[in-house]
Amino acid sequence: MENRLTQLEELWPCFQGIIPAALSTCSQDGTPNITFISQIHYVNPTHVAISHQFFNKTHRNVRENPLACAMMLDPRTLQAHRIYLRYQHSESSGPLFDSMSLQLQAIASHAGMTDVFRLRAADVYEVVRIERVDGFTRLPPAIPADRPSRLFVDQDLEFLRLLSERIHRADLLGDLLETTLRLLDDLFGFRHSMILLVDERNTKLFTIASRGYPENGVGSEVGIGEGLIGTVARARRALQLSAIDHSLRYARAVRDRAEAGGGADAVCREIPLPGLSSAAGQIAVPLLTRGRLIGVLAVESAEPLAFMAREDTLLTIVASHLGGCIEQLSRDTEESPQGTLARPQSSRAFTAPSRSRSFCFFPQDDCVFVDGEYLIRNVPGRILWRLLTRHRDEGRTEFSNRELRMDSWLGLPEIKDNLECRLILLRKRMEQKCPDIRLVPRGRGRFALETDVTIALSERDT
Amino acid sequence: MIPQPVFDLLQTGVSVIVGTRDSTLMPESTRAWGIRVGKNRHSVTIFLTEAISRKTIDNLKENGLVAISCTRPTDHVACQLKGRVRTIRPADRRDRERSSDWHREFVEELVAIGVPADLCEAWITSPALAIDIDVTDVFHQTPGPGAGEKV
Repeated sequence: MENRLTQLEELWPCFQGIIPAALSTCSQDGTPNITFISQIHYVNPTHVAISHQFFNKTHRNVRENPLACAMMLDPRTLQAHRIYLRYQHSESSGPLFDSMSLQLQAIASHAGMTDVFRLRAADVYEVVRIERVDGFTRLPPAIPADRPSRLFVDQDLEFLRLLSERIHRADLLGDLLETTLRLLDDLFGFRHSMILLVDERNTKLFTIASRGYPENGVGSEVGIGEGLIGTVARARRALQLSAIDHSLRYARAVRDRAEAGGGADAVCREIPLPGLSSAAGQIAVPLLTRGRLIGVLAVESAEPLAFMAREDTLLTIVASHLGGCIEQLSRDTEESPQGTLARPQSSRAFTAPSRSRSFCFFPQDDCVFVDGEYLIRNVPGRILWRLLTRHRDEGRTEFSNRELRMDSWLGLPEIKDNLECRLILLRKRMEQKCPDIRLVPRGRGRFALETDVTIALSERDT
Repeated sequence: MIPQPVFDLLQTGVSVIVGTRDSTLMPESTRAWGIRVGKNRHSVTIFLTEAISRKTIDNLKENGLVAISCTRPTDHVACQLKGRVRTIRPADRRDRERSSDWHREFVEELVAIGVPADLCEAWITSPALAIDIDVTDVFHQTPGPGAGEKV
């Protein structure tokens, strides 16, 4: 049946939850039982873990008779393997449980099933024997040497060094964010990525930078605890999800059963996945500095096997650098010497404007519309309105973070490090919605309002 | 007797997995290449290839006890049948036609959830043995509350 012993690590594609595994057990009285298991988790070269949620017969059987047999399919070829198992123990706390539970919570949150869909325990099994099932498919087996070689790891380290040097060189927050996402793409192939920061009230994350999406999504918000990103923010731990399509379908099946069974009260609105509509793999990593959450770095891929432990580790290292750099630059923003800041005004400011833009401010919710289209609100909305009115009334084009900080009308929060983030958010929204009016950095803590158009301002109550 | 909703489910391209055990209570898992409900709805026939199900067939000859789980891949609607083997015989023409129809429908289900068709068409589903089974119990197995309850 097989010509050599298979190592458990070689079955890594089978452990990604892309194709459910068939698990058979047997009660003490000899009655066999079989069920699909959404994902078998690799623990170490001799152990696997299975989540205990609803599979009560399996749970009971292995406590009577610890023997089990799982049949798993390699998603690359649909080649089958059997692993013969012996139940060892159950964990309801600790790193293994936390990791499996967090993954489940994120899926449950996506499907609005947080209260119904939870991990009771991680059941740990010893692997007694592994068997490749010959005669299952006409396709040849996948090449086994798919695990990263030592040379490959060396290249990752080299790229990490490069990325670290480059992002520590950035002296403006906006540059730091753009550089990080560009290097993640160029060096590591993370084509779709975003950085979200925590707002002043610590209840939401807002997107401050993104790469690889048709819409940059800057300003979009995610609640703490919502979806993958919100779950990671709350848990302050990195999380990788593969086979999202499969997992969500599974979670929805559970929800449908719960609703049919009268448990509709436990089901809340489903949260749409942010970003790629075809996302099959995601990793989100918290940005922490001295234990304080400042944001989340998230990447996505349409490839279900794009993200493995390697990508998880890489992003965690990048996130630790990024978190420190964001904090440092936010703190330093108003500490630059004045002499380094002034730059010549752009020549574009002197061209005779031939077109106009009409801005309307709604003081009730600090909301600004441009040419009848929503632009921005809240703190960045007030900042924009202050800049535009100063420009109109006093002809000002140069501004400093410090004067915004001192302006009582703006009512900026005590926490210093969010002003620069708000300005970046504002700058990017303007790039998207009215590119002929720009906020151009003039060094740390200063910026200019540049315009190619005539600006008209009005205020309305509702 | 197999109730109507389960009967309807078994007419579709369900994934059929089979659990048995040997005299030491060591379980065994395998895949069947299709299922057919008997006319009286008290029995089913599943199709196994010896190459991948040798141990399962040994177990069935030895003690006859079997668990069969059928899941529709696109929505995870599932049931489990338990029973005892009546006969093990080479698949005849009618069995082969049923297995072939099932394979086509199963491939359609898998393609609908993103599995490349050429992968599932490469499965070796013949020559098969037909296993006739008297069904003793039917259970809900759609994941969630109620999974494991007797129908």
